[in-house]
Amino acid sequence: MNYMPGTASLIEDIDKKHLVLLRDGRTLIGFLRSIDQFANLVLHQTVERIHVGKKYGDIPRGIFVVRGENVVLLGEIDLEKENDTPLQQVSIEEILEEQRVEQQTKLEAEKLKVQALKDRGLSIPRADTLDEY
Amino acid sequence: MFRYESLEDCPLDEDEDAFQGLGEEDEEIDQFNDDTFGSGAVDDDWQEAHERLAELEEKLPVAVNEHTGNGERDEMDLLGDHEENLAERLSKMVIENELEDPAIMRAVQTRPVLQPQPGSLNSSIWDGSEVLRRIRGPLLAQEMPTVSVLEYALPQRPPQGPEDDRDLSERALPRRSTSPIIGSPPVRAVPIGTPPKQMAVPSFNQQILCPKPVHVRPPMPPRYPAPYGERMSPNQICSVPNSSLLGHPFPPSVPPVLSPLQRAQLLGGAQLQPGRMSPSQFARVPGFVGSPLAAMNPKLLQGRVGQMLPPAPGFRAFFSAPPSATPPPQQHPPGPGPHLQNLRSQAPMFRPDTTHLHPQHRRLLHQRQQQNRNQHRNLNGAGDRGSHRSSHQDHLRKDPYANLMLQREKDWVSKIQMMQLQSTDPYLDDFYYQNYFEKLEKLSAAEEMQGDGPKKERTKLITPQVAKLEHAYKPVQFEGSLGKLTVSSVNNPRKMIDAVVTSRSEDDETKEKQVRDKRRKTLVIIEKTYSLLLDVEDYERRYLLSLEEERPALMDERKHKICSMYDNLRGKLPGQERPSDGPFVSDHVYPKREENGLPVFSFLSTEQAADIPSRTTAQTTSLLLIKKVLPCLLSPFSLLLYHLPSMTVTSLLQQLMNLPQSAAAPAPSNPHLTAVLQNKFGLSLLLILLSRGEDLQSSDSATESTQNNQWTEVMFMATRELLRIPQAALAKPISIPTNLVSLFSRYVDRQKLNLLETKLQRVPYLTKVGTLEVYDCGWGGGDKT
Repeated sequence: MNYMPGTASLIEDIDKKHLVLLRDGRTLIGFLRSIDQFANLVLHQTVERIHVGKKYGDIPRGIFVVRGENVVLLGEIDLEKENDTPLQQVSIEEILEEQRVEQQTKLEAEKLKVQALKDRGLSIPRADTLDEY
Repeated sequence: MFRYESLEDCPLDEDEDAFQGLGEEDEEIDQFNDDTFGSGAVDDDWQEAHERLAELEEKLPVAVNEHTGNGERDEMDLLGDHEENLAERLSKMVIENELEDPAIMRAVQTRPVLQPQPGSLNSSIWDGSEVLRRIRGPLLAQEMPTVSVLEYALPQRPPQGPEDDRDLSERALPRRSTSPIIGSPPVRAVPIGTPPKQMAVPSFNQQILCPKPVHVRPPMPPRYPAPYGERMSPNQICSVPNSSLLGHPFPPSVPPVLSPLQRAQLLGGAQLQPGRMSPSQFARVPGFVGSPLAAMNPKLLQGRVGQMLPPAPGFRAFFSAPPSATPPPQQHPPGPGPHLQNLRSQAPMFRPDTTHLHPQHRRLLHQRQQQNRNQHRNLNGAGDRGSHRSSHQDHLRKDPYANLMLQREKDWVSKIQMMQLQSTDPYLDDFYYQNYFEKLEKLSAAEEMQGDGPKKERTKLITPQVAKLEHAYKPVQFEGSLGKLTVSSVNNPRKMIDAVVTSRSEDDETKEKQVRDKRRKTLVIIEKTYSLLLDVEDYERRYLLSLEEERPALMDERKHKICSMYDNLRGKLPGQERPSDGPFVSDHVYPKREENGLPVFSFLSTEQAADIPSRTTAQTTSLLLIKKVLPCLLSPFSLLLYHLPSMTVTSLLQQLMNLPQSAAAPAPSNPHLTAVLQNKFGLSLLLILLSRGEDLQSSDSATESTQNNQWTEVMFMATRELLRIPQAALAKPISIPTNLVSLFSRYVDRQKLNLLETKLQRVPYLTKVGTLEVYDCGWGGGDKT
């Protein structure tokens, strides 16, 4: 079917439900409506899915236009199997709360780590701060 | 100046009256000044006016603030606390707290969360319409601007029936206020780079040239029957005449519908009709940005040399058999009829700079289009389609938003992608992939050999190798311009300096080099010799100053130096056996050593000295050109010559007269000798030699007979020549030896002697002598004149 094996072309993915992972870590699920040569995407009826542990929550977002360079990966969702997951869907508030908690624990762990390193005279620059400069 | 509550209050028509009224009211007071600074000044902030206007719009949708949970905000707005509200609104644009996120809030409102049904589009999360309808009420007025308008449009649009081939060209383009600026490029209603929309209809082009704020939608092109649920791209349309071969159910009577753009391209731009074809046409079909611009360029740039390829790669019919042998492309085909033929003939030719599609790729593209069409045709009940496909089709049918992206646009994207696969050197650009596929193919070939099973069709990525063309940069020339306009781009950066490269040929360069080297060498040798000369002169002084014992040593050194000088003069390079060619010495040494050379000869020993004149005489012909210098050398030469033995004299004479050593039959005229005689130096030399010889003869009577014979011969030659040459041609010798007459008288009879005397009569000295002689000889007659 694919007349250009080895290439990545999104033409056949149009009008199908996709899961898109962005560079900032967000996960979007939506119908791919349009593309261009830079792999900019137009997602329709998009939902942002937040995963924390085994739970996830969906935030409906509407139409997304994603710049191609920000896409890490995307894949088609099999509509029949899409709910066949061990994950548990929760409400938005809950998932947001969970996310916040997760962030917090992560930050604290990071802080401890940095402190421990500092005590030993080492310093590892944070990856996210590197990006800024 | 005038306070208005709303736009409607602006008295557009009453302007004139109002101003007139103002003027009439009070002429003394400066109205403008008063309005600005005086009592009439109205401190009306335009921002406030704007706010008020905004309020009017906000009033329409019902708004409730979720934050505060009440209508406080609305009241505040109405009260007119503009600035604070503005700041708040702005801050709301940036949502940090998720609780402020309208999407989340909206979603929260939709509790309880319904279980999404598998595979169904009607889950509450997905069905935005229901959600929106429910939560319309509690939403903020301020939040509205952040939410796209379309979302509100969604619920209102009734779900459309299975209209896959819905006319999506109804998508209205936003209104653009445009003003035609003379001389500026044509205003594009559609920005460059947007995917192709649809074909332009000729009647529409007029609009673009004079763009107006109101956008006029293009009329619909004739629709094709329903089975083809997609736009017919020009590619497909072009293929229509040939489609009968493939069993296209398309009525063959329908002529290919081509936009004027395509037609113009096909005809190579030859038939440019005013009003029909314009650059703005391309605005309508921006999808073919590559080719139309390429087509336009040849028109714009008249100076462009090279073939104007009818750049219609996208319009080639590829459904037919592989392209036949290609006749050279015709630039101006007679009409639209045979244009397809022309196109097909273009097939294998393509611009290697990858702005056009490789034919293989194009073929694939068309095949795929065909496949898609077939798919749509066999929507229901194709046996080979799996359940997956059927469900997919099902969804597509039910999905009202399907096919938002037109097939044409998809083709456009895939065309770009295929173009990117073209490379001039696949192994360079994509080494690992090429190798990988080679291995795969080898494996499969091996398998096939063994198994002999059905040949699986191996889909291979086609990375066609595009030939690399050397593009000679031809500077772009604009028609109608004065002078040269510089246009620089990444491919032809501008010249910084107008430097012209003057490259000489190899031979010339080497010759020049040789000459230069020789001169240098000569100069070096001259320098050395001169320094040696100075040293030798110094020896005299040292000799006097030094003690007895050291004198022999000094003498030896002196000798040695003289030898080296001599060698230098001979052109003998240190380390070489043979002296280098004479001309080197003669041409360069003597001219340069006018003053310096003279003392040298005095130091040279006899045999050394003899050699030099001999070599000089041997090269006299070449020296004859250098007339100025040689006379200076005459005096030292004469000194030398007067000390020469007879043998050398004879040989010298012979050399001078260019006689072979062994006696040969004398030629009637000797050109060499003639030249010598005509030259001052030569003549002088000759005469000196002769006199010397005479001296020798007269003094030394015991010479050998052979020598004598030779001498006689030489003498005869000389005299003969002297007689032969007319007097006028004879050069004036610098000095004439005194004993010449006696010399001549010995060999020549009186008559000839007379002639000789007359010839040499220029020198009064000789004449006197001659006359005296004549008298003595008893010539009768009167005075000699």
